[in-house]
Amino acid sequence: MTKNIPILKEVTEANSLLADGLRAAFAQNRVLVLNIIASPGAGKTSLLERTIEQLNGELQISVIEGDPTTSIDAERIAAVGMPVVQINTGGGCHLEARQIQRAMDQLDVSNADVVIIENVGNLLCPTGWDLGEDIKVVVASLPEGDDKPLKYPMAFLTAQALVINKVDLEPYIPSKVAVMRENALRINPDLAVFEVSCITGQGIQEWLDWIRGELTRKRSAVK
Amino acid sequence: MHEMPVTQAFLDMALEHADGRRVTDIYLQVGRMSAIVPDTVEVFFEYLSKDTLAEGARLHFEILPVAMTCQDCGRQLDLSEWSDDAPHIIMQKAFVRGCECGSKNLRVTGGVTFGLVSIDVEPGEDH
Repeated sequence: MTKNIPILKEVTEANSLLADGLRAAFAQNRVLVLNIIASPGAGKTSLLERTIEQLNGELQISVIEGDPTTSIDAERIAAVGMPVVQINTGGGCHLEARQIQRAMDQLDVSNADVVIIENVGNLLCPTGWDLGEDIKVVVASLPEGDDKPLKYPMAFLTAQALVINKVDLEPYIPSKVAVMRENALRINPDLAVFEVSCITGQGIQEWLDWIRGELTRKRSAVK
Repeated sequence: MHEMPVTQAFLDMALEHADGRRVTDIYLQVGRMSAIVPDTVEVFFEYLSKDTLAEGARLHFEILPVAMTCQDCGRQLDLSEWSDDAPHIIMQKAFVRGCECGSKNLRVTGGVTFGLVSIDVEPGEDH
């Protein structure tokens, strides 16, 4: 005779508990943490490079880079002159809280203003794994197709901000910025949307202002 | 591919709750928007549970439908007529039609999670 044991928990609960611990530690350091999610090639690292270059001297930014393999992205960030830790997932398709916890051993965030986590390029898997971030940012580039939000609703549903990248290519491709924006806002009307080009610099200032605002907001909430 | 870490996660939870007893059945709830494929979970489970007390356990999947709620009147929308459509098609149709109160301010409020409901265990010596 078997016995039924009720559990009633999210499968990812262990990860979420660890992430809550990280979030508390980040709050104590008064650090704003962003988790950047996008498909491969959307321009996550390019957005990071522009962000760091522009905020250099104003804000101290630390970066955690997640990739299946190689330290190419970490080298790109280090070249811009910010502390960076590379996590190689060994083929794993997303980052988990325990990897962030381990990265913290190598990254001193006591003087940091902002920690940016670049997740593994993937629009499906990272959405269910809390990393202790304050804000999930989804980056979608225009050439990927303006129907991207409809195909990967979870990424857009769980994010608080959307960066539409490569908008300078609009004249040359069928995909339209307005359509991508509309599709994303249908799924999540609360999204803060930024239309940027990391090549021309278009829209980057609005994105930076938003980061500044979120940092101020967090710091006034955590006294 | 992404089913592997979630399979490991519920296997760990099941073994912890089983506390040394053999697990015969595992009851799971899969939201239609969760992007979890039960067949793939089965494959990883067979591999990951080998030589554990959950080896050979049967997996039971209850599929949870997409649920949407109107942000203006608070009603949960009746999406049953589209239940055979893909989740993103259901969302698209819902946004076009809107709520019966006329609002199109809708949110997805269900069908997004992957949960472990319960497990069946064989009686152990000291339980």
